Amino acid sequence: MTLDDLRMAAAVERGRTLSVLVDGQKLTACEGESIAAALLASGRRFTRWTARTGEPRGYFCGMGVCQDCLVTVDGLPNVRACMTPVREGLRVETQRGLGDWAVSQ
Amino acid sequence: MRTADCVVVGGGPAGLAAARTAARHGVRVLLLDENPELGGQYYRQMPATFATPDQATLGKESVEGRRLIDEVRALGVELRLDSIVWGIFDQRIVALATREETERIAARTLILAPGAYDRPVPFPGWTLPGVITAGGAQNLMKGYRVLPGRHVLIAGSGPLLLVVAHYLVSGGAHVAGICEASSMRQIWRYAHRMLPHLNFVQQGYRNRQEIKRGGTRFLTGHVIRRAVGGPEVTGAVVSRCDDEWRPVGGTELHFDVDTVIVGYGFVSSLELPRLAGCEHRYEPELGGYVPIRSREMESTVPGVFIVGDGAGVAGSAVALEEGHAAGLAVANRLERLLGRDYSREASRARGRLLHLAGFRRVMDELYRFGPGLYTLAEEQTTLCRCEEVAVAEALEAVRDGATHVNEVKAWTRVGMGRCQGRMCGPALSHLIARATGKPVTEAGIFTPRPPAKPVPLAALAHETH
Repeated sequence: MTLDDLRMAAAVERGRTLSVLVDGQKLTACEGESIAAALLASGRRFTRWTARTGEPRGYFCGMGVCQDCLVTVDGLPNVRACMTPVREGLRVETQRGLGDWAVSQ
Repeated sequence: MRTADCVVVGGGPAGLAAARTAARHGVRVLLLDENPELGGQYYRQMPATFATPDQATLGKESVEGRRLIDEVRALGVELRLDSIVWGIFDQRIVALATREETERIAARTLILAPGAYDRPVPFPGWTLPGVITAGGAQNLMKGYRVLPGRHVLIAGSGPLLLVVAHYLVSGGAHVAGICEASSMRQIWRYAHRMLPHLNFVQQGYRNRQEIKRGGTRFLTGHVIRRAVGGPEVTGAVVSRCDDEWRPVGGTELHFDVDTVIVGYGFVSSLELPRLAGCEHRYEPELGGYVPIRSREMESTVPGVFIVGDGAGVAGSAVALEEGHAAGLAVANRLERLLGRDYSREASRARGRLLHLAGFRRVMDELYRFGPGLYTLAEEQTTLCRCEEVAVAEALEAVRDGATHVNEVKAWTRVGMGRCQGRMCGPALSHLIARATGKPVTEAGIFTPRPPAKPVPLAALAHETH
């Protein structure tokens, strides 16, 4: 089953396209999208691996409550992907455990 | 410390309506929301960078929301978006933070409109990526026009299931099944009482016909049993349930899907009202705690008003009226709307709320939450998503003598993580009640602590004045 581009073909003009880096790979997103929307639109469902059992997690509540879609953004861990808009050149890393502060800068 | 005449927390229907009414009467309003856009969940708007030639194609709630947001902006309400309210101190001192800095504001009047979130229901596989809440699915589709998946099972209860299915189908996804927990008999019992609200019934009916044509199985009296797959979802199992939504063995049905959407109603966000010291009582028919309020929507803390789904889930029509009533009360308190003018406006608002109360009761009964849902989790099912604590660990604490959610928290770390127990709290109190045989009220609810939501330490270290 493939989940390539899940952007709905509705009568909507999206924001201009921009690129972000996800785990070092270039991903095209639309200005205004949340990080979670951009990841999910390209079929990327994992945002992090948990600290205790290492299992994958992703977008769940979609409204900033559950804290499951945490990613590391420009070196800052524990950023909610569902509440944070993409920006040109943003570096997003899927997060392991509680995140690694050493990555920053 | 800055002072403000009126601070409204939450930019959904209730908060927007409150801000509009207060501002119309000349009150200077400061409106806070943690989202980048106003609207909350129900009125969720697309980002400002998105455009559409015809807003009407986005649905009634999007159009209504746009109008209300534009009015609030035109009235000069001061906005702080992307700002998390992480604490309320000394009753009306509001602490908010961006990623960079924090600020405290002393509010002369405070209107809390924190809203609600999807009732979290642990079941085997509920942490797999690809299992998402109905609210989360809505936000993705309404807010960003992105589908959560291609082959979808929807399980839950209430009219939102049909709305979600409608969005999925219109976006080109295949909805394999809609699994409604209420039985057809339960739905029919109240159907005649819905006649005064034909608009709503018709909308549901139209959606349902449209969905059936796409080959969707519509099951009533069924609940989700498990999501299967690994590392992401590849299927789901549902089964029949009884009137309390307890699953019935031997009736399992399997669906091959890449996405499972779960929506068993909503629970109020109680953290901010409780941090402010507002008293709550348990309402069994609402399946949760609601604040004690005067008819002006004032809580037990003077000058603190609570409106909308955060004060008992009743939907947007009630939220708008409650927000309006609180906006009037605040204008009166700040001497902007006095005497007969206030009495007249306030009594009209009360009349409209009374009219809506009938509809509210029907909805409460029709979509009454069945506590049998909390038997879906098995011993090894994750209860606390943040701290990764299994149901068995919590039950062991109960066997060792814990009777209150706060005790289980201290012994097992359930509810101690970043979501502050929002995801596991409702299930934990029901698990304790079942294990001890005592009423769910005796298991209690977690004590909220600031920060109500995680904020960067760097922000706390940098306070603006």
